Amino acid sequence: MAHAFYRKWRPQTFKEVVGQEHVTQTLSNAVSSSRIVHAYLFSGPRGTGKTSTARILAKAANCLAEGGDKPCAKCAMCQAIDEGRSMDLIEIDAASHTGVDDIRDLRDKISFSPSEARFKFYIIDEVHMLSSSAFNALLKTLEEPPPHAILVLATTEPHKIPGTVLSRCQRFEFRLIPFNAMINRLQDIAGREGLEVSEAALDLIARQSTGSMRDAESLLDQLASYGGPEITLDQVQTMLGLATSQAVKELVDHLATQDVAAGLGKIGHAVADGADPRQLNNDLLSYLRGLLLMKTTDRGPANMTAEQQSELARQAAHFSLDRLVRTIKLFSRAALDVKGSTQPQLPLELAFVEAVLSEESDDVPRPTPSTGPAKGPLKIAEQRGAVTPVGTSPEPPAGRPTPEETPRDETPPESRPRLGQEATEGGLAGLLDTWSEIAANINRSNRNLAAVVRDCPPVAVEEDLVTLCARSRFHKDQLESDQAKELVGKAVGESLGQRCRIRCVLTPDTPNQGTREDDLQQLTEDPVIKAGLELGGQIGTVR
Amino acid sequence: MWRVTGHDWVVSLLKGSIAEERVSHAYLFTGPPDVGKGTLALNLAQALNCLGEDKPCNECEACRKIFAGIHPDVRMVDLHYQALLRDETPAEQKELRINTIRSITQEAGLKPFEGRRKVFIIQDADRMTTKAANSLLKTLEEPPPHVILLLTASDTRLLLPTIASRCQVFVLRLAPAEIIEEELRLRHGLDAERASLLARLSGGRIGWAICAARDDSILKDREDTLRELAVLPKMGRLDRLDYAQRLVRKSDLMRETLELLLSWWRDLLLIRGGSPETINNLDSAASLEEDAHGYDLWDIVTFVKAIRRTQRELELNVDPRLALEVLMLDLPARSN
Repeated sequence: MAHAFYRKWRPQTFKEVVGQEHVTQTLSNAVSSSRIVHAYLFSGPRGTGKTSTARILAKAANCLAEGGDKPCAKCAMCQAIDEGRSMDLIEIDAASHTGVDDIRDLRDKISFSPSEARFKFYIIDEVHMLSSSAFNALLKTLEEPPPHAILVLATTEPHKIPGTVLSRCQRFEFRLIPFNAMINRLQDIAGREGLEVSEAALDLIARQSTGSMRDAESLLDQLASYGGPEITLDQVQTMLGLATSQAVKELVDHLATQDVAAGLGKIGHAVADGADPRQLNNDLLSYLRGLLLMKTTDRGPANMTAEQQSELARQAAHFSLDRLVRTIKLFSRAALDVKGSTQPQLPLELAFVEAVLSEESDDVPRPTPSTGPAKGPLKIAEQRGAVTPVGTSPEPPAGRPTPEETPRDETPPESRPRLGQEATEGGLAGLLDTWSEIAANINRSNRNLAAVVRDCPPVAVEEDLVTLCARSRFHKDQLESDQAKELVGKAVGESLGQRCRIRCVLTPDTPNQGTREDDLQQLTEDPVIKAGLELGGQIGTVR
Repeated sequence: MWRVTGHDWVVSLLKGSIAEERVSHAYLFTGPPDVGKGTLALNLAQALNCLGEDKPCNECEACRKIFAGIHPDVRMVDLHYQALLRDETPAEQKELRINTIRSITQEAGLKPFEGRRKVFIIQDADRMTTKAANSLLKTLEEPPPHVILLLTASDTRLLLPTIASRCQVFVLRLAPAEIIEEELRLRHGLDAERASLLARLSGGRIGWAICAARDDSILKDREDTLRELAVLPKMGRLDRLDYAQRLVRKSDLMRETLELLLSWWRDLLLIRGGSPETINNLDSAASLEEDAHGYDLWDIVTFVKAIRRTQRELELNVDPRLALEVLMLDLPARSN
């Protein structure tokens, strides 16, 4: 059985490791000046060369060649390690040997001298999976191993490693492999394997593997089985389930013209033609990202032809920035909707319809930022998001507004106290934006107060007087104690950059007189209350 | 002869790699449930060990043993296997544990007993715990020379990136209805009308179509459920809550019913959106058409999202009755 490309073409010398010059140069200097230390930690994303570099370092440390570049890859020692038969290179899978006993075993054996090599070399791979007691059992050995031992820890998740381990190692961070370096390496491998790969196909392979060399080599390996004279762009697209870039562009056109029917049709066709809906979603997202760049910088993403640029510019003109951002958010959420469902294209279809619908509503001027054509529950949820800057979860618990919130939400924004609003609109908006931070600041000194503050957004800023809007008398009383006024004033002052006084008013709809009938009328139209009434409930008191 | 329907491009690639002796040591097949991932993996295991000429021949001893699940060198690793290991019932197994994966890594060290290759098929690899997945990494990257690991999962993104990056990944897509129809007619002996109906209802999932062809009750249950669901919007809230309660009692049916409800409302979404070509429930196209125009498009979107939310909540152990009741209250009113 032939080895997979990523094993067959595993780099054998420091020079062959792609895109990690900052690591390989340092290590190879350390080897040539005999300054190898006893503990290293290699961290970085998958497929960037951690294990390979560790093995190369093992060879370099033990290489028998006199002078010249180490490792030589020719001497008996280098070959023994390459073939995996050296007794002194011990590779430990820390993810399946996670326990403290495994580390004790290591500690007991490490003191024996190496059998033939100069150094006894331990590679502990996937080290983030060690249990905490295992890590602690390793500490003493890691700090002062016997003179003949070198330990290399490798992991994709360095944040899971305790600080005491980190501080005992020389740490090297591996980076994602740059695009061009990856292309060169792939060309090199393809050449040595006798494969013809078209440039566009290579380009796509490299882009698809997002900086991981192993992903790229796996893909190339997979494509090699097609067995034709040349690997073409078409084959890569079929295998990855990519829609043509034409399809993606048209889909964006349908978004721009707000054509639901054509858009849904396009998605259906693309999927029927073999596109993977999730991949299509990703492609669409990166295309929209291009539009976003075009819109904000007028240049669009790098490496695009002038023709593509002008095409992007044309489409960008159809979207307002606000609209574009909202659309991108919708599709990103769809991309996260991974779990389950026998209908993989549903999240995409849903996001498309939603994007178009929320854009249609954009044309109508509205009092609050996001009312949309939403009816009933959703409207309430969105409005609440607009009023209080905190607690706007991506998916508000639509359809379940608690009774006490309902009256407040149904008050049109105009009827809120407007004290000097026109003078300091900017200050108020800024304050609203940072309100959750302010509440968090207060939370450090007084938790109860922070909770109250979160519920009482500012409604007006007049010179140094900030007016907060309390929903209930309880909140108002809490805010009006001297201590509270001082704390809140200080926190708000820090945000505005000036000293502030705090004033508190009740939401006008709470003690509203005269409109009680209307309120009741509105209440009974609320879906939840309506359901309650239908089930035989009665409205007692409205607070 | 590969017994795989609708994934010709995968089969031709795999055939090519077997013929050219460039079989990789790790494969990952992803795709929606019932799309044929397991069948493909089993077929590949047969092809790798087949003694005949046209691999897999389905006739030689190795092929037959693998098909029957009694080949000593082909290990199907799934919840049933884990139940055997742990001496428990399959129903008690929720995820694949680290000890199960460790048993693979140990067994992988042994030479094949009678076949040429030792094949491990890890079904639903997305059920592996984080620990289990991590403990597979080293073996998955560099297994002993005679070992091949085949993984199936519903989506790459549910696996650790380090797992997916070690495998050759094949993303299986839903099969076109015509291909399923042909398969049902030729190999399962269905008459044309029934084959066409099942093919369209399957939504591209061959596994479901074959099950439904073998078992009439699946189709009948579906019709019953649809009839109930059709009445729902006309019912008052009280009756709907009552329905939710009844549904919770039949917990095995609950998820299927939700799935059906979702597919019904997706069809409404497509019809109302003006693109009715790709709807699933073609047998009830007329009533769908009529239904769709009773709703506002935004209402449909909102409700589809509500169904998805409910499905997610059920996965997260929310009280089923509460979740379903809320869903029932979310059902939009017809606008005319």
